[in-house]
Amino acid sequence: MKKLPLLLTLFFFAGTALLFASEVPTMSKDELKSRLGSNTVVILDVRTGRDWISSEFKIEGAVRAPGDKISQWSKNYTKEQTLVLYCA
Amino acid sequence: MKSPILLSLTLGCGWLFSPEVLVITGNSAGHLGWLALPLLMLTALLVTVCNRNIHNAQQYAPHHNELSLLGQSIGKGAAATLTIASCLPLLILAATALLVTSGYSFNEVFLYWFPNFGFAFLLLGLLSFVQFLPLVQLQRIQLCFVSLAGLGIVILGVYGSLTPAKKLGIIVQQPEQLSAAPLSSALLLLLFAGSNLYHGKKDSFAAVPLIALLVFLPWMFASLAHVDPQRLADSTIPYMTVSRKILGDSGRQIMGIVVIMGSCAAFTGLSLLCREKLSDLSREKMAPPFLAQSGQRWLLPLLIAIATGICMATGLAGDELLETLLRSALLLWLLYYGVLSFSAALALHKELKTLPLPAYIAPLVLVAAFFYMVFSNPHTKEIPGVIIALLTASGCIAAVWLLIAPNRKDTL
Repeated sequence: MKKLPLLLTLFFFAGTALLFASEVPTMSKDELKSRLGSNTVVILDVRTGRDWISSEFKIEGAVRAPGDKISQWSKNYTKEQTLVLYCA
Repeated sequence: MKSPILLSLTLGCGWLFSPEVLVITGNSAGHLGWLALPLLMLTALLVTVCNRNIHNAQQYAPHHNELSLLGQSIGKGAAATLTIASCLPLLILAATALLVTSGYSFNEVFLYWFPNFGFAFLLLGLLSFVQFLPLVQLQRIQLCFVSLAGLGIVILGVYGSLTPAKKLGIIVQQPEQLSAAPLSSALLLLLFAGSNLYHGKKDSFAAVPLIALLVFLPWMFASLAHVDPQRLADSTIPYMTVSRKILGDSGRQIMGIVVIMGSCAAFTGLSLLCREKLSDLSREKMAPPFLAQSGQRWLLPLLIAIATGICMATGLAGDELLETLLRSALLLWLLYYGVLSFSAALALHKELKTLPLPAYIAPLVLVAAFFYMVFSNPHTKEIPGVIIALLTASGCIAAVWLLIAPNRKDTL
């Protein structure tokens, strides 16, 4: 019984994450690979601080776009462009 | 801390094999080219002279510890402030940064499905538990951390030096790289943070700098032989780039172990440094008695674990601010070390009436390097403000501790 609040909390966060995630279209690794180099695709690395510094996996040509500064960098792109945001 | 020399030596080497040091050596090699090798030797020589001052001052006056040496030259309040500022912020900020870096290494090198943040917290729990062990056992574990990390760097460095991937020649540095050369040279001093924890036998003050040379000369040589300097200078993880170039995926795995073991060694080394400095403060009646050696085995590691956990959980690791804070904390250690060594030189001057000129110059170079790095870093204009804030906070802690410490009338 003691674990019930913990489980409920987990379900709540997992559920809300899925709810929001369903509104954002995702792109598979293979699809992204096939579109790399296209003029209309912009890859944005939204990681900041150590999350970006310590990671070995950085997509070549990706532009750094910190998630908390979306209002600044979003002006640089048009609606015709496909923005691919990645964080891991 | 009376222990065999090897165990004692591993405490002074804790920070030396951390991922931060690997970044500094990689970036410096990129900016300086082959010049990085003699500059590393010069840096090691400077630190040796500074170590010698401190060591000799304590030999001539055995009742002196680092705190009393500092207190004689800058006053007890300032000495307590500088001591706290040099170790507490460094430990908590470095722990946060290193554990997260270890988490990424584990996730990206060994197990993709294991969350990096989960590993960082797991490691924090494990390392905090280890800190509760008796000192001798802790030193033995530290010996394992340091040996594994050092061995990994040596294997990659020696192998990479013997099998250069490209024709070795004079590297022509780009103007933008050369402009960063003075800062990169000064940064090499930060390799030795916490090395003053080493309490070796007589005339062994060169031990930690010598180990640094033995490990990092081949490593930097291999780095320059395998990777373009521009790439080394720009990379945030030059150690991984070099390892992959030297030994492919095996190199990455060796470096993954180095990063994790090096982080553990740095955490333990800095934690012990902090415990020792706070214990000194307590013995000098400049801090509450519970911070003395016997009382802090449980309390201090617990407080450090909680503080680090809070920093990680609140997302400090994902904030650019962490880099500024960590660099400032490292610079405060450099200031502490330079001032301490100069104080030791002054104490020796009183005893001996004369000292060789390098004994005065070396600590002053360290202090000058501190000011240069505080005001010259083009990426972090906030460093002077952070340094002042950390010194003020440490000053407040020192003042409160002086007020509540017993027999304070004797010490004020």
